[in-house]
Amino acid sequence: MRLYAACVYLFLYIPIGVIALFSFNAGRHASQMQGFSTKWYGKALSNPFVMDALETSLMVAFSSALCASVFGTMAAVALQGIKGPVRTAFDMLIYIAVMIPGIVIGIATLIGLVTVFDQLNPLIATLWPEGFEPPKLRMGMGSLIAAHTMFLMALVVIIVRARLAGMDRALTEASSDLYATPMGTFLQVTLPTIFPAILAGFLLSFTFSFDDFIIAFFVAGSETTLPIYVFSSIRRGVTPEINAIGTMVLAISLLLLITAQLLLQRGAKKTR
Amino acid sequence: MTNDIDYISKKKFMEELERYRKGSITRRHFLNITGLGAATAVLGASVPGLRPAPAFASDIGDRVVLATWPNYHDPANFEAFTEATGAFVQVNVFGSNEEMLAKLQAGATGWDVYVPTNYTIEDYVKEDLIEPLDTAKLPNYDASSFDPRYAEAGSVDGTLYAVPKNWGSTGMAVNTKHNDGNPISSWKEFFDISMDKFSGRAMVHDYQLTTIGSALNYHGYSFNSVDPNELADAEKLLIEVKPHLFAITSDYQPAMRNGDAWLTICWSGDGKQLNTDIPEIHYVLGAEGGEIWSDYYAIPKSSERKEAGYALINFLLDPQVNATEVLAHGYPTADEKTYALLPDALKNDPILFPAQELLDPLEFGAAVTLTDPNRAELMARFKSA
Amino acid sequence: MTQRTRNWLLLAPAGAWFLVMLIIPLSVVFIFSFGERAPAGGVVPAFTFEQYANLPARWTAFKNTMTLAPIGTLSALLIAYPLAYFLAVKTNPKWKTILLVLVIVPFWTSILIRSYAWIFLLGGRGIPALLEYIGLEGVRLINTPFAVLVGIIYGYLPLMVFPIYVSLDKLDKRLLEASSDLGAKPWRTFVQITLPLSIPGIATGCMLVFILLMGEYLIPALLGGGKVFFVGNALVDLFLQSRNWAFGSAVAVTLVVVMLITVTIYMRLISRLGASREDVSIM
Repeated sequence: MRLYAACVYLFLYIPIGVIALFSFNAGRHASQMQGFSTKWYGKALSNPFVMDALETSLMVAFSSALCASVFGTMAAVALQGIKGPVRTAFDMLIYIAVMIPGIVIGIATLIGLVTVFDQLNPLIATLWPEGFEPPKLRMGMGSLIAAHTMFLMALVVIIVRARLAGMDRALTEASSDLYATPMGTFLQVTLPTIFPAILAGFLLSFTFSFDDFIIAFFVAGSETTLPIYVFSSIRRGVTPEINAIGTMVLAISLLLLITAQLLLQRGAKKTR
Repeated sequence: MTNDIDYISKKKFMEELERYRKGSITRRHFLNITGLGAATAVLGASVPGLRPAPAFASDIGDRVVLATWPNYHDPANFEAFTEATGAFVQVNVFGSNEEMLAKLQAGATGWDVYVPTNYTIEDYVKEDLIEPLDTAKLPNYDASSFDPRYAEAGSVDGTLYAVPKNWGSTGMAVNTKHNDGNPISSWKEFFDISMDKFSGRAMVHDYQLTTIGSALNYHGYSFNSVDPNELADAEKLLIEVKPHLFAITSDYQPAMRNGDAWLTICWSGDGKQLNTDIPEIHYVLGAEGGEIWSDYYAIPKSSERKEAGYALINFLLDPQVNATEVLAHGYPTADEKTYALLPDALKNDPILFPAQELLDPLEFGAAVTLTDPNRAELMARFKSA
Repeated sequence: MTQRTRNWLLLAPAGAWFLVMLIIPLSVVFIFSFGERAPAGGVVPAFTFEQYANLPARWTAFKNTMTLAPIGTLSALLIAYPLAYFLAVKTNPKWKTILLVLVIVPFWTSILIRSYAWIFLLGGRGIPALLEYIGLEGVRLINTPFAVLVGIIYGYLPLMVFPIYVSLDKLDKRLLEASSDLGAKPWRTFVQITLPLSIPGIATGCMLVFILLMGEYLIPALLGGGKVFFVGNALVDLFLQSRNWAFGSAVAVTLVVVMLITVTIYMRLISRLGASREDVSIM
């Protein structure tokens, strides 16, 4: 049994080890080790396109995780008190948003938005005051954040709702019996209870967005996210720069993961 | 400016280049000794294209995005461009004209320069995706020094939309080590051996023109055929050969280099690069025919940094720079001035400049193949088969 | 402000978001799937079932997806279950958290980079070179369905381990002790107690992996060399190469319908197996 587990761990870590190993390659090929060097880390960090892609990815991940957490939590709370067709419709939408493959979301968003923009842009141009350059709607960071937020929001609703369902009704009832305003009840009773779930939803959303390739591939317009950069580099014939980027991303996510774990443990203790 | 530099002998140049590529000298040494150093060092001030307006260099912004094909440039030239203008060059690599066209059709791409092939330019004009070029911004472009065969597709209805980068042919690269030292010489042999001795070791491009084209050549049809019956024959062959292929990809160099694959449809420059590093890989043209093509530099309508785009194209057209590009990518130039700078070894290279009788059966790609729905769907069926 | 108004206000942003980013795009895809290919690519509005009639041309892509997705899911399950069992039942609690985190960590690296590692490992200079060393020559791994399967298992293993672990961890250890006290063989204890109780975890893990595999594009693209085609690859091809939006839309609609049907049948089966539907939550 233990041997089996060790084998699975080997399977999981050999490829990562290979990536990390070649990131220290002194040669310029990603498949032949030619001495030890950290130069590819320097190269990656001083490459403005890598840094730009990283910045774009972080921006997109942070914005969409934030929007998803806020709007998702709002929806989850509201759905607690709603029954009937609206509730059913929302449940359906959430189900569809999570179920539909990323590639279909990417394609649908691309052709949907391109079609809508083609209709709207001339309209905006005619409405715009003479002499000013009318704004032009198009694919880019906005559309990418919007697409990510859409399916991440569904994820947050599911996570937060699970926590809300496990919450003791008596607590909120007691609170309103004590004449707390609904807002007060929410801030002092509900929010602290569901906060770990919101945080978990935020972190999960952040990772999903940061890692997403396929939606961004279609929706990002002229923006380049880190996964898009990596994808086009893999096709270009890779240098160890890509390995260095991968190793750094892994190290940073590991750090974030541990931090999040510690935060969640603390949060769990508090609410207990 | 080009007259100020003392050229070293062509032979010396090639030797130095070899040494540079093998890593025994630094880039700076290489650039200095070959005179290219002087060229790069004084670029900002003396390359004609960058001179007209002193503020030009800072005006073009801090970046320019180039959409191009795999293994198609000398990275050192981009570094030189950045040094001279402050603008970083982002290289996005694509596998086919179809993919570039699809990206441009779907909306803004962020590209400032791209490299369409001769047969696509007409369609880009029709679709209103390509910017007419202002030659005043391309002082290094001297139309009279280009061979019209490889430059004429850049103009549509008298308007200049694209300037020639280089031309080339599409043949096949074969690792002769696995065929008792014998190269192959026709598309018939290409597909036959792929299904036999080279089963699991051959690659075809992942776009319609050349893959369907060579299957058409196999049957003795025109490379550009859109005749449904001829296409049906080509499809039959492709479906039959598919289980024997190693991969369907336009980035075939890695697999050829590491020995996974032994045979591929190949552009002449990639053939040259492979042959230089691994002499047993030969580049050959199909006896039945094949593609002769010319790639161009152009600016997409949607570019937001057109000045930077012009600056990059102009820089790359400088004969001195262009010559180093040719040395790196191994495709022949249509520019007399650049040709004059090439070492004799390259001018006489049978891969770059094949004998005329080998070129005769080749055809330029026809615009109709790009938009023909049957060819597009055939290719898609082949890939998903 | 009544509670009703408040709830509406709270729902409004999410509702608007779903409308603009989900309902409208999906409707456009649905409408386009009845259109025709424009001469230069794109779509012209029409009302024709031509695109759907052309679906058999992508039969292989559907077939590949519908075979490799279940095989991949099952293989991941078979590899993940013993590990999850080991972690939940056999591991010293002191080591549990760290070992569990070690399973998730690879999942936090981009799947692109992880698959890229396999391009090297399965390529001519990787495992085949090792095999040659021990005398097995001419083994080709990269660009085969096997390579894609390895990539799939590798990519989604953590997603399978985790839910199974959670369900096994919840299991009351006293049950197992009681069973062995009553003289049951370990195997019988496993089949009669452990396995049935871990079905919710299995169901969740399988569904997660299966859903992701149905829309997979990257792993076949990177490890299949253009030869192992999933529906996802056919879709990218239709939109980014042959620019046939109408047919692409029809393929997308079909994929979604096939998926919804498969998952619904799957959930029915699972609930019949004894797990209640609520246990098979998405997350």
